[in-house]
Amino acid sequence: MRTVHVGGYAQWRDISRSLLHEGVEPERLVWLDANAPGAGDLFADTPVSAPTAAPSRITIPKRFSDLLDGAARCRQPHRWALMYRALWRMAQGDRSAMLVADIDGGELHRRAHLLRREAHHMEAFVRFRSVITPAGPSLLLAWHEPAHDVLALVVDHFMARMGRQAWMIVTPDAAACSDGERLTLIDDPAPALGTLARNLSDPTDELWRAYYRNTFNPARVNLQLTRRHMPARFWRDLPEGDLIPTMSNQARLARPNRSQTEDVARQPGRQVAVSPMRAQPLRSPASPLDACRRCARWRDATCAIAGKGPEFAKMMVIGAQPGDREDLAGRPFVGAEGTLLDQALEAAGLSRAQLYLTYALKHFKGRAEDSDTAGRRPAAADASEYRACSTWLAEELAQIRPNVVLVLGMEALSALEMTAPASTAPSQRDIAALSNAWRHGERWVVSAPALEAIGESMGEQRSRLLAQLQVGLETAHRLSEAADGSAESQTRVVVADL
Amino acid sequence: MNLTDKLIVLADAAKYDVSCASSGAPKRSSRSRDGLGATNGAGICHSFTPDGRCVSLLKILLTNFCLYDCQYCVNRRSSDVPRARFTPEEVVRLTLDFYRRNFVSGLFLSSGIIRSADYTMEQLVRVARLLRTEHGFRGYIHLKTIPDAAPELIAEAGLYADRLSVNIELPTEAGLTQLAPEKNGQTIRRAMGRIRLGVEESDAEPRAPRFAPAGQSTQMIIGADATDDFTILGSAQRLYGAYGLKRVYYSAFSPIPQSPRSVPLSAPPLLREHRLYQADFLMRGYGFRAGELLSAPGNLALDIDPKLAWALRHRDQFPVDLNRAEASTIARVPGIGVRNAKRLVQLRQIRRIRWDDLVRLRCSMSTLKPFIAVQDYRPGLGEAASETLRHALTATPATQLALW
Repeated sequence: MRTVHVGGYAQWRDISRSLLHEGVEPERLVWLDANAPGAGDLFADTPVSAPTAAPSRITIPKRFSDLLDGAARCRQPHRWALMYRALWRMAQGDRSAMLVADIDGGELHRRAHLLRREAHHMEAFVRFRSVITPAGPSLLLAWHEPAHDVLALVVDHFMARMGRQAWMIVTPDAAACSDGERLTLIDDPAPALGTLARNLSDPTDELWRAYYRNTFNPARVNLQLTRRHMPARFWRDLPEGDLIPTMSNQARLARPNRSQTEDVARQPGRQVAVSPMRAQPLRSPASPLDACRRCARWRDATCAIAGKGPEFAKMMVIGAQPGDREDLAGRPFVGAEGTLLDQALEAAGLSRAQLYLTYALKHFKGRAEDSDTAGRRPAAADASEYRACSTWLAEELAQIRPNVVLVLGMEALSALEMTAPASTAPSQRDIAALSNAWRHGERWVVSAPALEAIGESMGEQRSRLLAQLQVGLETAHRLSEAADGSAESQTRVVVADL
Repeated sequence: MNLTDKLIVLADAAKYDVSCASSGAPKRSSRSRDGLGATNGAGICHSFTPDGRCVSLLKILLTNFCLYDCQYCVNRRSSDVPRARFTPEEVVRLTLDFYRRNFVSGLFLSSGIIRSADYTMEQLVRVARLLRTEHGFRGYIHLKTIPDAAPELIAEAGLYADRLSVNIELPTEAGLTQLAPEKNGQTIRRAMGRIRLGVEESDAEPRAPRFAPAGQSTQMIIGADATDDFTILGSAQRLYGAYGLKRVYYSAFSPIPQSPRSVPLSAPPLLREHRLYQADFLMRGYGFRAGELLSAPGNLALDIDPKLAWALRHRDQFPVDLNRAEASTIARVPGIGVRNAKRLVQLRQIRRIRWDDLVRLRCSMSTLKPFIAVQDYRPGLGEAASETLRHALTATPATQLALW
């Protein structure tokens, strides 16, 4: 058995390296903490000295070295022995020594967790109090008693947080001080400094205590949970600490199930004198379309998308249903599909100002399986939803009275058929003349691929579909120009021309 | 009224908003710079009140004067509460003083509606602007967004705030119409949509100023009307999907002084709120869909947690062989969390997983026992029926509950 005294991580590392080099097994070592009380005189009995020759390098993964660093800072029994045992196993090629499911690895991880938690406690529970220094600007001074050596781990946090403000955190065995530019770490600060930091008073503490008392909800008192998150050992040094037992007792006794605090309940209250009429916010009244509840799609939508375009447009374009972007913007054809449409319009020499743009379905509904916002695709709609919504389309057709309707995709076409089922079927003669245009009552119907289908296609297929859309737009445009006089003969000419 | 008296009234008035997150902000530092404050993505709970809730931000209302008459709200115009109003400068001073002393990591500011939605929103934005531009404040700011406010104001709010939130208030449109006559579901959804667009536009343009970098959240009040958990979870799932919310908070309705007759006189069990948070967590972190957790109208079981309830309904998918299953499948085993699922996958790349490994990972052994198979353990063939298991695994009903 060999006895090793260690005073810190750096020293442990040097000693461990040489021990590992010598091939000393962990079972043959007794590790003692040089700083622990009763450790005896460090220098009288140091059987393992600092390495004489540079031992061969041992490489360990970064994560393992972080674990060791953490375990060294954690004031827990047998830290040096545990660290050496794990290091020994790693050096033997047993990588499970750093895994959480391993006996040693698990213990290292547990300690790393304790340490992180304690550092987090320190970042949270340090309380600064203002000291007016004779030199001028105030210094913020804090006293804190961490259970492990975490001061060095949190100083960067406070440097970033406090800017040019000067501050100092004093703990029983170390202190950190910043003048707003440079950081100084002090070992074993004078006890008087600790006493000063502990006993300072600051008027802002009273404001904080007032806030703390009233942000509390007495109806939900749960002291056990408070203790778990904020261990009672910290309470002594928190300005709000002494309030905790009183507040929880009062909450249990005074008025159960009351959320309002006594501080507030004591004060006289007053109603705000305003009539319900005046209180109503100015809001444009909901349109009948917005208020439509004919099917359940509105539940999934942000708002209904009304058609958009000149009141007497000669051409109407009908898509199947709005997409994610349209749903958010409240306007038709603004997303990727809008860009596609604009592309085709430009190629056909047309502009949006000439068209009335609308959808067969007025509310967007996302697919159930798309949980991610980024890819919110429209869900397939059933016939009942198209039927419920056809009233709105019929109304738009009656109001705009377009000469030509361009339907994008089969869904839009069947929705159009629902508005006037009688004369839907393209007549034989028209089909012969044109594969993608036919008479529908008083107007022409032109069909083109759905924008969704174009958006999903690639390469040649995409260019072919885009070209079809462009042809559809051109056809619709020429028909609308020709049909303007609504003379049958004129239209025939155009058809022949096409 | 002095500052302390105002703080008392306006802290009490603000606590019904349960959001306290200060996480998700981008990296900002004041090291060797003018100004004050830093954020690094992680939140800090600076204190805990005796109700077990964390104090992370200075959470206050600018004023609790309010034109609206939302029946569930203590600050509604017909409520007989003491009223107060901060000036924007007072809020700025409080925020900076509290921040410097390490009491809080930033500000959560909301307000009653005074004069108009736009005026109120302007006041909120003014506080954030003063903090950011005049005082170089780099701590966390969460601004409550008034849904009826002009889009320009919301756009400006997003430039100063780390997080914006619009409260959906109640899980159904009908509930909103009934209990909050001045609010409107569509206006609320449109404001959320605008925030999502703002976030995405600024994300797409690397040099653009960040817009609400910590995203948006919302809050629903539970138990002020008769809505069941099935509807609530469906509604939450829809909100997550449509607006990319970071969180939906559920706030069990607390009976308020001079409670109007339209809302219940007693609070719903806090356990219900707790189960909703668990279910919500399963939807966000474990890939569960609302329909899996509750397949028919009704409430979540109070006696067992939603994950165990799901597993008991799907015994055919168990036992899961931990040495073979995907990490996502392992995470669905009751008693094993996402983190341990990852650790198990890591471990089995080195060696086969055994029973003792699970003990060391501090898995909840009594819960997972019937649901797993490992190298040295398989549940017996005559494993108990789900009903018996449920009975055995039901914890004695706790009177004190963790919030989340």
